[in-house]
Amino acid sequence: MQAALIVYRKELVEILRDRRTLMAIGLAALATPLVLFVISQVATKTATQTYTVGYSGDIPPQLSTLLTATSLKLVPVVDPATAAKQQVDLGAAFLPGEIDEYYDPSRQGAQIASVRLETVAGQYAAAQAAAALQSLHIDPGILTPLKLVAHPLSSPVKAASNAFLSFFLPYILITMIITGGFSAALDTSAGERERRTLESLLLTPAPRSRLLLGKIGAITTISLMAAVAAIGSMFLALSQISTPGAGGSSLHISLNPAALPVMVWLALLIAVSFSAVTLAIGTLAKSFRQGQAYVTPLYFVTILPASIILFIPDFNPTLAYYLIPILNAVLVLRDAIVHNSVGWAAIAVTTVSLIATGALSWYVALRLFTREALLTKS
Amino acid sequence: MTAAVAVERLEKTLGTTRVLRGISFDAQAGEIFGLLGPNGAGKTTTLRVICTLLAPDAGTVEVMGFGTRSAPEQVRSRIGVVTADIGVYPRLSARENLEYIARLHGLSGAELSRRIDSVIERLDMGSFSKQRAESLSSGQKQKVAIARAIVHDPEVLMLDEPTSNLDVLASKEVREFMVEAKGRGKCVIFSTHVMHDAERLCDRLTILHRGQVVASGPTAEVRGSRRDLEDAFLELVGEK
Repeated sequence: MQAALIVYRKELVEILRDRRTLMAIGLAALATPLVLFVISQVATKTATQTYTVGYSGDIPPQLSTLLTATSLKLVPVVDPATAAKQQVDLGAAFLPGEIDEYYDPSRQGAQIASVRLETVAGQYAAAQAAAALQSLHIDPGILTPLKLVAHPLSSPVKAASNAFLSFFLPYILITMIITGGFSAALDTSAGERERRTLESLLLTPAPRSRLLLGKIGAITTISLMAAVAAIGSMFLALSQISTPGAGGSSLHISLNPAALPVMVWLALLIAVSFSAVTLAIGTLAKSFRQGQAYVTPLYFVTILPASIILFIPDFNPTLAYYLIPILNAVLVLRDAIVHNSVGWAAIAVTTVSLIATGALSWYVALRLFTREALLTKS
Repeated sequence: MTAAVAVERLEKTLGTTRVLRGISFDAQAGEIFGLLGPNGAGKTTTLRVICTLLAPDAGTVEVMGFGTRSAPEQVRSRIGVVTADIGVYPRLSARENLEYIARLHGLSGAELSRRIDSVIERLDMGSFSKQRAESLSSGQKQKVAIARAIVHDPEVLMLDEPTSNLDVLASKEVREFMVEAKGRGKCVIFSTHVMHDAERLCDRLTILHRGQVVASGPTAEVRGSRRDLEDAFLELVGEK
C-alpha cells in the first residue's frame, strides 16, 4: 500500500503542475456560473420586456390601461395581420364584442405578447360580465358554478427550482467528473509512455497493481476536484442570481436535503469507476493525443443515454434501467432532487453497477498495464 | 565465484520475430561486461529480459542468485538501468525525480535524504537538482537518469546505448561513471554498437548477431590478432 501512496502523491503533484489539468478545473468552476448568468439575464429580459401590439379599431379605455400596465405597447396600424408579419410582435383588430389576434407562433416575442393579451382580455371580460350582473342584482358567482380550488403540495417556486436542478445538476456533475479526469488519466498513462518514463517506473520493485492503484487514486481526486469546483461555483452563482418565477415571484434555487448525500455518494462511485475506465483506455494509447482520440467517444457514449432521459419529463424507469452506468446515476440523482427521497433499491442497483464497471475496468487496466506490448510497441 | 548475472539458453520471440535464439553468458561483479551487436541483434531485448520487463520464452536468467521468474521484485531491487531514451518526469525537479524512484525502492527518512545527497554530489548535479527536469539539457537529463538508476545502490548496472543521444562531454562523463562504478565493485553491463567505447571500457564481452552469440570472452581474446575490435566485429558478423 505504501507504493500506491507514493505514486498517488507524485501523480497529484505532477498533475497539479500541468496547465491542461488546471485549465480543465478552472473551466469547470467558471462554465456553470457563466451559463447561469446568461440564463438569468435572458429570463429577466424576457419577463420585463415591452412587446408591441399593432391594432386597429377602438380599444375600450379600461382595457387600454390594463394592456399598457402589462408592458404591451399599443401602436395603431392599418392592417394588423400584415403588421404582425414584420413591424410588430402581435396584431389585434378590436371589433365590437371581439378581438381578432394575429401572431407568428415561431417567434418567441409574439408568443409572449399573445399570452399577455389573452390574459388581460380574459380578466377584462370577466370584470365586465361581473359588473353587468351586479347592476342587475345578480350574484357574479353564477358565472362559475363549479369552482376549482388548487392546493399544491409543494411551493410552485420550489417545484420550478427542483425541475431546474434535476436537469442541470446531474448533467454538470457527471460531465465534470468524467471530463475533469480525462487530462489527468491520459497524463498518467499515455503521457508516461510518451515521455519514456514508464520503463523506469516498472523497473522498481513495487507491484504493478499498487502503481495502478496510486494512479487511479490521483485521477479520482482530480475528477472530484473538478466536480466540486463546478457544483460549488454553481450553488454560489445560484445564491447570487435570481430568475423571475411564475406570478412575478423571484426564483431562488436550493437543493433538497436528501439530494446532497446521494450526490456525494454517486460522485465518489463515478469518479472511481471512470478513473479506472479512462486509465485503461489511456494505457492503450501511445501518446496523449492518441489517448484523447480514444476517450472523447467514451464521453459521448456514456452521456448520451442520460442526456436523452433528461429531456423526457416524468420518465418512470424500471429497476433494469439502473444497471446502465451513468444513466443510473442521473436517474437516482433526479429522483432525490425532485422528490426529496431516496429509492434504496435504485441506489443499491446503481452502486452495484458502478462498482462492477470500476472493477472490470480495473482488471482490464491491470491486464493492459502488465502486457509486454506496453513496452515493446512504445 | 557466483556470477552477478547469469544468462542460460535464453529465447524470446516478439510478435513473429525470434529475437533471441538460445543465448548464454555471465557477468561478474567488479567488471564492465560488453553486450555488442548491430541494430536488431537482440541487445535491448536481452537487457529487458534480465531486468524482468520481458519474460523469457525459454532459458533462465539469474541476478545475484535470484531468478527473474521466481523473484522478479528481488531482481529489480538489485539492478539499475540506464537507456538512451532519457525519460524523466518533466514537471518534477531533478531531486524529486530521484526521490520518487528511491521511495518506490523502499527508501525513506534520513536514509533517503542521505542517498539522494550522495548521488547528487557524486554526479555533480548540485547546480540543477532543484530545477524542473523539463528545463534541463540532454546531458543533465542523462545524469538524472543515471542518478535514478543508482539511487538504491544496486549491485548490477545495465546501460543500454547510454551515450547515443549525448554530446562529447556528456558521453565522456558517462564513460567515467562506468569506470567508477566498476571500481566500487559493481557489475556493469554495457550494451553498445560503438566498438571504440567497448574496446576501451569492457573487460569481457559478448557479441550478438541475429539473436545468437557469435563471440564471447575477454575483450583482448575476442579481438585476437585483428587491428581492432571493430575489425573483429565485422568479421564475426560476416561483413568483412
